[in-house]
Amino acid sequence: MAIPANQITNVNPSPLNRLESAYLPEIFKGFGTTMRHFFTSFGQGPTSRTMQYPEERRENLPVEEGGINASNFRGVHRLNRDEDGRVRCVACMMCPTICPARCIHIEAAEAPWDDREKYPKKFEIDELRCIFCGMCEEACPVDAIELTTEYDIVGLSRQEMVFDKEKLLHIHDLTIGKKPM
Amino acid sequence: MSSPTPTITINGVRRPFSPGQTILQVANAAGVEVPQYCYHDGLSVVASCRICLCEVWSPNPRTGALEPFMGGKLVPSCQQTASDGMVVHTDSPKAVANQKAVMEYLLINHPLDCPVCDQSGECFLQDYSYQYGRGVSRFQEEKVKQPKKDLGNHVLLYSDRCIMCTRCVRFTREVTGTGELMVMGRGNKEEIDVFPGIPINNELSGNVIDLCPVGALLDKDFLFQQRVWYLKETPSIDPITASGDNIWIHHNEGKIHRVKPRENPRVNKWWITDEVRYGWKFVHSADRLGAPARKQYGYPAQSDFPRAYEIAVAGLRRAVEDGGRVALLASPMIACEEAYLLAQVVREIDREAVLAVGPVPVKGSDRVYPPGASEDDPRAFKVHAEKAPNARGVRRVLEALAGPGQVLDFEAFLRAMGKGTGSSGVRAALVTGNYPSAWTTPELLGCLGGKFIVAIDTLAGPHVDAADISLPAATFAEKSGTFENARGMIQSFERALTAFEGARPEGQIAFDLLHLIACGGEYERAGATRPEVYDAADIRSRMAAEHETLGVFASAVGHPAPRPQARPDMRLVEI
Ligand code: SF4
Ligand code: SF4
Ligand code: SF4
Ligand code: FES
Repeated sequence: MAIPANQITNVNPSPLNRLESAYLPEIFKGFGTTMRHFFTSFGQGPTSRTMQYPEERRENLPVEEGGINASNFRGVHRLNRDEDGRVRCVACMMCPTICPARCIHIEAAEAPWDDREKYPKKFEIDELRCIFCGMCEEACPVDAIELTTEYDIVGLSRQEMVFDKEKLLHIHDLTIGKKPM
Repeated sequence: MSSPTPTITINGVRRPFSPGQTILQVANAAGVEVPQYCYHDGLSVVASCRICLCEVWSPNPRTGALEPFMGGKLVPSCQQTASDGMVVHTDSPKAVANQKAVMEYLLINHPLDCPVCDQSGECFLQDYSYQYGRGVSRFQEEKVKQPKKDLGNHVLLYSDRCIMCTRCVRFTREVTGTGELMVMGRGNKEEIDVFPGIPINNELSGNVIDLCPVGALLDKDFLFQQRVWYLKETPSIDPITASGDNIWIHHNEGKIHRVKPRENPRVNKWWITDEVRYGWKFVHSADRLGAPARKQYGYPAQSDFPRAYEIAVAGLRRAVEDGGRVALLASPMIACEEAYLLAQVVREIDREAVLAVGPVPVKGSDRVYPPGASEDDPRAFKVHAEKAPNARGVRRVLEALAGPGQVLDFEAFLRAMGKGTGSSGVRAALVTGNYPSAWTTPELLGCLGGKFIVAIDTLAGPHVDAADISLPAATFAEKSGTFENARGMIQSFERALTAFEGARPEGQIAFDLLHLIACGGEYERAGATRPEVYDAADIRSRMAAEHETLGVFASAVGHPAPRPQARPDMRLVEI
């Protein structure tokens, strides 16, 4: 669609004078700004925007200073235990079915316990593929999988970031007192 | 008021029917959904689940005026034969109230463990709960808990999921005639059970699992393997017996998880034998051949396809140059199209090649269910003793090429190969297998000795080790083709999986060899030309065009029926 004539403004910059066409004064002006920031932010100076992670963490800062409300942050998963310390998951496969990133891999088997049909023999979540949408948590009929608020998960290889059942249960043990997302 | 073809009106639409059909059959044929649990086309009607009840009005024979049928009682549509002029409502307030009541009643003691139930996703109770049930339960008392029972080699019963439709009981009484299952107890103590000490281990026992509309009867083999909504289904044909049973292969991520019968009233009705149901295991056997091999210093050494093909073609050629014959042992486990192409390969090398059909295993004798029924009875199910899917098809194809009567059976092949006499004009042979288990006999191995052997097979075996060249082939699930069953019906099947890594379908191997022969036996001379790609439908039309006697492959092949259009199982709900 053509642009209507009344919306077109012709800009005719005036030609540069001699000093301007040398560019140098403007360059020094610009460097001046850079340098001012450089020196005033040095060592946590007044213009510093650096956060001293992990000593300082976003959940401890007020929101105006870049903090987050950690209580609804969707972080790493945990696999909950029931009262007897067994994995709560019944291997219903709802979470791998709903997962948009297809990062949950479960192998079901007959449960070794009398009161349960099925349990996950293998339960793996590829935390690198996960998009932390929380759908798995929504889908789970027995509240077995939950997203904790922990976000500082690290690993040295891709394989290490595929969390298995033991690791996910361990996260539950570590975050047991915390409310999940 | 009778029209030439009688009609009934179901939910306001007139549907023609043939006399004798029940209302439910007319509705099912017309695609009108009427909920049903206990009714099954292959079983007698007991009208016990009561969910199919509908409101029926019929014309008064004297006045022709519509009157409530049976004094206005709801009528089981599965049992009531349709009569001309009837007006049936399955969605009237009365019928809907009954559907809701039946659903609520069935769910009283149902454990609602869909999350861990293998049937969920293909469960009638689940689907009808959505469509006809209510969202909440008014039941406040304790549910009756019933035990889990091991009924037989393949069947597991979760009693508390059973809705007492008795389909399984009727199956063992009416189809197999073995009657292992029974209903025990009354009221909410009612349970399905076997007679003490007599498990359900008949040849067709797996069918009760398919029949069960809920998750009460489950397959031990499939238990907890997959949620059913992950499975993809491909129509196929029974690959291990001569019955030509129609099957669905249910697979996911390159692995078969189960086989289910595919309804075909002319062949297997609604059933398959357990042999076919669990007979796919060889597809994922650890013994599958995954690379071509050639014999070096008397031992097989891994090779690659181009090299193996070159040596194979050169070896077959040399046999002819030395004045010998080339033989083809086409196994009855391969598709007709593949037999045709392999025969072309050997005839390309040796016009007078010996064509033979491989050994056709026979186990026991033919059996008809129910015992004592005649084979032509529309309800009878025949189990074939012949354990090869395509002995007739392979013979038909080879005879079209070599001339009638010129195709040897396995015994004659062994004699032609010098069994007993020790001398034979045959110097080289192409041997195909694809049997689900070991198949070679010492006699065959003896005959193969001293000749140039190219073995095309799926599973490792002594003949593969002894062969000069062995080529890994693909099983029925990894290719398309046609099988001709014991009654001469030619039926096509489709490819479900990609071929096992390193293996190729026999048809592709034949094409590769034909291409190599056409370019002089050396890949260097092949230039930019490529072998054709094996496609069963193409070859069928080519076979029909090239040989008049193979015209049946264009005209009489039974293809899988197209899938009925899937309908959404829920009405759109406005929120
Ligand atoms: S949070 Fe989302 S992406 Fe991650 S595992 Fe759960 S469903 Fe999958
Ligand atoms: S949805 Fe819950 S119970 Fe089901 S498999 Fe996932 S974690 Fe286990
Ligand atoms: S076990 Fe299944 S088929 Fe048998 S009566 Fe119960 S619900 Fe029906
Ligand atoms: S289907 Fe008619 S009563 Fe069960």
